[in-house]
Amino acid sequence: MENTQQLAARTLSMKSKLKEQRKGKNKLAWTLYLMLVPTIVYFVILTYFPLLHAILISMQNFHMIGDRPFVGLQNYSQVLSDQTFWSTFGNTLFLGIGILLIGFVAPIVIALSLNELLQTWLKRTIQMIIYIPHLFSWVVVGGLWIYLLTPNTGLVNVVLKLLGIPQVQFMTDPNLARWVIILVSVWKDVGYNCILYLAAMVSINPALYESARIDGATRWNEMWHITLPSLGRTMQVVGLLSIMGILRLFDQIYVMRNAVIEPKVDVLMTYVFDQGFKQIDSIGQATASALLILLLSLFLTLFTRRLVRYDDM
Amino acid sequence: MNRRATRLGNVLFITVNLLFLLVICSSMIIPLWNAVAVSFSSNLASMQPGIQMWPRQFSFSGYKTIWSILAIWKPFENSAIVSVLGTLLHVFLCSLAGYALAQFHLPGRRWITSLILITMMIPFQAIMVPVYVTMQQLGLLNTLFALILAGTVSGFSILLMRNFFLSIPGEVLESATIDGAGHFRLYWNICIPLSKAGLATVALFEFVGRWNDILTTVLFINDPNNYTLQVALNSLISQGGSMSSGYIVTDNVKMAGIMIAILPLLLVYPFVQKYFVKGIFVGSAKE
Amino acid sequence: MRLNSQLVPAVLATTVIAAALAGCGNSTNTAANEPTLTIVSNVVGGKNPQENQAFADEIGQALHCKVNFINVPADYTQKVQSMMSSGQKLDVIYATGPDLAQLVKSGAVVDLQSKIQQSTVLNDKNVVPQWEWDDIKIPQTTGIYAVPVKYQGALMPIVRQDWMAELGLAQPKTLNDFYNVFQTIKQKKGVYGLTLSQIYDIEPFMSAVGIKNQYVMDNGKRTIPYASAAAIPVYEWLHKLFADQLLDPNFVTNKTSDERNLFLSGQVGMFNYWDAWVPMLNNLANTQGAAQGFDAEALPGAAGPDGKILVSTGDTSVWAMPKNAANPDLAFKFMEWWNTKPGEILGSLGVKGTDYTENNGQYQLTQTGTAENMDHGDPQPIDTGWKNPFPDLQKGYANAKQIGVKYGYQPYTLPDWNNANVIVAQYAVNAIMGKLSAQDAVSQMHAELLSKHLVDE
Repeated sequence: MENTQQLAARTLSMKSKLKEQRKGKNKLAWTLYLMLVPTIVYFVILTYFPLLHAILISMQNFHMIGDRPFVGLQNYSQVLSDQTFWSTFGNTLFLGIGILLIGFVAPIVIALSLNELLQTWLKRTIQMIIYIPHLFSWVVVGGLWIYLLTPNTGLVNVVLKLLGIPQVQFMTDPNLARWVIILVSVWKDVGYNCILYLAAMVSINPALYESARIDGATRWNEMWHITLPSLGRTMQVVGLLSIMGILRLFDQIYVMRNAVIEPKVDVLMTYVFDQGFKQIDSIGQATASALLILLLSLFLTLFTRRLVRYDDM
Repeated sequence: MNRRATRLGNVLFITVNLLFLLVICSSMIIPLWNAVAVSFSSNLASMQPGIQMWPRQFSFSGYKTIWSILAIWKPFENSAIVSVLGTLLHVFLCSLAGYALAQFHLPGRRWITSLILITMMIPFQAIMVPVYVTMQQLGLLNTLFALILAGTVSGFSILLMRNFFLSIPGEVLESATIDGAGHFRLYWNICIPLSKAGLATVALFEFVGRWNDILTTVLFINDPNNYTLQVALNSLISQGGSMSSGYIVTDNVKMAGIMIAILPLLLVYPFVQKYFVKGIFVGSAKE
Repeated sequence: MRLNSQLVPAVLATTVIAAALAGCGNSTNTAANEPTLTIVSNVVGGKNPQENQAFADEIGQALHCKVNFINVPADYTQKVQSMMSSGQKLDVIYATGPDLAQLVKSGAVVDLQSKIQQSTVLNDKNVVPQWEWDDIKIPQTTGIYAVPVKYQGALMPIVRQDWMAELGLAQPKTLNDFYNVFQTIKQKKGVYGLTLSQIYDIEPFMSAVGIKNQYVMDNGKRTIPYASAAAIPVYEWLHKLFADQLLDPNFVTNKTSDERNLFLSGQVGMFNYWDAWVPMLNNLANTQGAAQGFDAEALPGAAGPDGKILVSTGDTSVWAMPKNAANPDLAFKFMEWWNTKPGEILGSLGVKGTDYTENNGQYQLTQTGTAENMDHGDPQPIDTGWKNPFPDLQKGYANAKQIGVKYGYQPYTLPDWNNANVIVAQYAVNAIMGKLSAQDAVSQMHAELLSKHLVDE
């Protein structure tokens, strides 16, 4: 334990020393800018320039061919006065927060428990298996779970029957279906986020464990006091990414929704799609609603940053 | 006594842990196994509802159909070119940017980071048409280069690489700086070798993303000679799903297509995985 | 008008530049000296890139031009929107009825009426009957903006006729008859009598109370009969099917491909589908190894109180010509050619050499051609003179088509239907599953439609 603190203190002091040293080397900054050039050029040409164009489109009565009269904020006000937009917004928040919370904890638990395995081959195999669902498209995964959850013949209901529990109509009960969607989403992506944590665990200094063991720490202690705290930065990234992702939930809903559950599971992006891309030539309004989603994401991110105070992002 | 209790606790811990992982794993294997079983079923058997854990009637007809209808090599080659080159370029450029943004003293760092973060929040549907127009103006439509270029850098990867570079101990960098190394040398000789797990993560995610991409290819490519594997397979599979097509694609053919599409990913994965597992093993079990 | 006068200089400038560019292009292209016809579609064509190339070549040979045939394998509307919005010049685009309505509304496609009237092919009522043109017309417009791709057909119950014969069942005429058929199938075959997928699949049963799908205009007011009290007995009847386990309980999550799979693999006795699919199901049963004696046959819907039967026809599928088409004459020539015999052969049988061989007027399907089931976008051409060269592979079609022609009606589609459909489906399904009484479902459905201004009364 003592060692750990010492090490941490040493790193800290070095960081500040290094900082001082670098202050004098600001002239070297131009190499750093050079390193950023491809990224900046890319984002300017293929993201920000199109974004400006999109803002223009969102203020037009856009036609694919012919004139595109400027209509100001009419597209936006149309979207904002549509009840469906707001009900999908509510659904998005419910599903998004569910996925965010469960999806945040699950990969950490799994990564930690994987980390506790001593057999490398086992660790390797399990890690590989957990990643498999992420390789499949939502069409496959969604279809599969709909099958697994069907009444009578679906695997889940067969198991329930064996346990003497009555059949459950998962996909036709809107409130249950919401949870199905949350859990299937977490299930599919857990391996993906797990890899992020595992990769972070690689960079934990082995000396920390060594010294802890000398002090007689149990595996549980190690996990709680060394591994978990070292994952802080990764947790921040995963958290931030998930928050930015919740408003963009689409593929899964598109594949798994049906007539009965739609009012409870349709999300903002399916709204954009249904309004603008399922039918031809209503790009103006669709773009406006997509830009509103961007705006909401910005608010959400700013809000959480206020709340959580990511160190230095 | 105390020690024995600890030991018992450890055994219990390991057992529960293992059981937990096994339950999770089995739920993950089911889809893969179901896909394998269906892909080896006969046409008729594959149409029956329910989960198949074993082919109801063993047959290669799914694979045969794909093979006979689809000239698979050209799309496979296109996918390989786009995914490999795209991923290499992506990892290189994102790690460069990540390195630069990991330097606390870089003026304007916060601004640039924020602008990069914002790009991650833009729904693609919002800028789809404008991006298409831009690609057209650049004269890149219908080329594989457009596919490589689309997503050359991403906020996600840059952020991730930046974090990996930030976790490199300061002392390592310090000694190199004292030796008079410039940023490019620090990046290439020190940070890159120390961030293999990070590079592997970014490379894996990007490769899988590119390999599975459909929308970008459909948007930017007209010429079937430039179709990627996913799009070629999709054109085969989705036709059978459309209402008005008289062509029916049985589930064994669909699943065979899916197996062919994910096989390369399953083959690539163990090589990438090496970088995570090795490190964890060294990290936790070195005594 | 003022806007137009402002636009003129801009348009002129663009034209000059475009002409200059085109000039450059032409100078390198003079050797070939053939224009390029650009066609975009998602369902028409071959099943893989090679076949699509062959498909394009065949069109090119017939029309003496180069053909750029773009077959979009996924995300069709997104692709078409992007291409057209970026100013790309497309000559012919494939669209379905609702999309065509949008295209017309936004002024993106050419009115073809005068060209059609002057055409010897398309103005021949034997080639394209008048009612096809009527179906293509967009409400509240006068022109004709497209040319049909195929005989669109109607949706009707398709039953395992071999089971009906085996179980001694007569053709059902009333809802009670239908119920008996399902019950007998359930008892004797041990499978569900009926499966559904979309809400329009219940139309043959709604026929029993004489109400139509989608909108019906009542004194200029928009009404949706599915949300009226008249529909209640049918929802109750459907719920009885569900409660007695005669209706596939997965009908809510079924996709249309699930229905076909269930039917082909003998898991269900009846479903509601296109007339053109009757022969295709019979052919598929042979090639995919379905049960011996498999026989799919179409049925009329349940007869209404006055003996009238309703089955709805599908959305039209059409070729349309964007206003900025580079080769409008060539594009129209293609639309004509599509409705002549070589075009019909290409759209149904497929490409000569790949899908079929021909010897002195004798056609022979290749293995590929058999697998592709004579559908390359136009499985059943409209032309009354069209005769499929393989009458043996048309088992059950004549009867099915007859039902569509006799009882079919074109639903009145308004752009709002997309949104209304979601609400109708939601309450209808709840009624069928018994989560709401039919009475409540209908009144809530109607209330919600009214509050969202999707119906007028």
